[in-house]
Parts: sequence; structure tokens; C-alpha cells
Amino acid sequence: MLLKVFLYGLPLVALLAAFSYLYSAGVVSHDTVYARLLNSFAGIVFAMWMTLAIYLSFRLMVSGSFRDQMITRITFIRERDEREALLTGKATKATFLTSLAILIFLFCLSCFQVSIYRVPQDKAIDGKTGIVSLGLGFNLLEQGKQDRPEDTIQRVNIFSYRGLPVSSAAIILLLIIWQVISYNYSMRRLMK
Amino acid sequence: MQSMAKTVPQLRIANCLHVLRAERRITQEQLAKEVGVTRATVVAIEGGGYNPSLELAFRIARYFGTDINTVFSIEEDIK
Repeated sequence: MLLKVFLYGLPLVALLAAFSYLYSAGVVSHDTVYARLLNSFAGIVFAMWMTLAIYLSFRLMVSGSFRDQMITRITFIRERDEREALLTGKATKATFLTSLAILIFLFCLSCFQVSIYRVPQDKAIDGKTGIVSLGLGFNLLEQGKQDRPEDTIQRVNIFSYRGLPVSSAAIILLLIIWQVISYNYSMRRLMK
Repeated sequence: MQSMAKTVPQLRIANCLHVLRAERRITQEQLAKEVGVTRATVVAIEGGGYNPSLELAFRIARYFGTDINTVFSIEEDIK
């Protein structure tokens, strides 16, 4: 029952989120009573939906039967016999390995640091003013600024890449979507 | 060290499920229902695309009132 509410409530949550965004951006007038009421309603719905999401994700971690139920709801595919259970295993393996590949790729992208810049003539190294700097950076905790000395040399940046510009929330969402799509695709391909 | 895959011969499990069904005039759907699987699984077994578990193999053999060796047999080294 709760799972159905969570999944079928998703379009409503998305609609209300869009409305709240427009409301806070000032596109929707703050003067009308209905808009204020709807915004308050959206807040309550978000709070309930988030609480439900936390509860369901915790249950998903601890309950095996709930995991089976969840996968049936998400993918619309039910394990009806031993062959389909085998196919589920194969699809899960494919999904796991592709997700792992994506995670390794994203990890590499988030660690690599590349800078291409020019320094003044008096700071030239072996007469060369164009410099390519490659680095690896890894922080256990999120930091606003790394503990490293400030650049004292005046330089003209040509290209600079310091890890993924995408937010961690966006990456997590992308991975969730990828897992659902990959599992569905693998399962349907195997069942043909 | 030699890998196991190279030393163990490839086996193919053949079956005469379609013959037994035809003899008894049973549809794939009926057989599937009787042994508790989907019709797709019966199709996959008959086509050689899926090797049933030992339990399912015994259930199929019992349904036809015969032993497992009559329904399933091994064809060695298909390579």
C-alpha cells in the first residue's frame, strides 16, 4: 500500500515541485489565496513523501520480500518460475557491472585535475610560458576550498578542469534512473 | 595452470519433450500449468535455450509417468 502511494504519488510530487519552483521564482502571483494554499499543500506533500521515501528505503535495505515486491513494481516484471529467476539474476548482474563501470568512470572524472595556462615571461620554465598541469585530487569530506597554498604567480588560464561540475544529488539521481533502465532493458532482452 | 573450461567437455542437454507432448496430445500451456512454470519456459526447454533445474526435470518426468533419462539425455562435446 505504502509502496503504491510512493510510486503513484511521484507525478503529483513532480507537478507540485514545478509549481513551488514557479511560486518561489515569482512567476505565480503570491497575492492569490489559492496559490498560497497550494504552495502550503505542496510543502506538506513533500514532507510526507520524503518521510515515506526514507522509511521505504530503510525497509528496502532490511527486507528481502520487500525488495522482490519493489522490483516487480518498478520494472513491471514478476518472477513466475525458475527460468525467470535465473534471468533476473543475469539482468541484475548486467546492471551491477554497468553501474560499477559508470561509478569508476565518474570517480576518475571527479579526481582528475587538468589546467592549461600561460605564465609571464619572467616566470617561464626553460623559456616556455605555456604550462599543462595534470593532477589527482581526492577528499574524503566535502570541502569548500582545498588546503593548498594560493597561487602567487600571475597566470592566464586557457583551460581548467577540477573535477565533475555536476552536483552529488544529480549524480545519485542519474544512477538511480540508470539502474532502473538498465535492469528493465536487460530483463526484456533476456526474456525474448 | 590450465583453465577448467578447457579440460571439461561441453555438454548439451537434449530432450524429447515435444515428442512426449505430441504422443499425449498436451499443449505447452497445459504442461506448463501442470509442472508449475510459464509457457515461455516450456518453449525455452523444448528449443534447448534453457536447461531446467533437477527439480523441474523430475517434475516433468513424473508428469509423463516416466524416468528422467527418457525425457532428458546428454549429447557430448558439441564443439
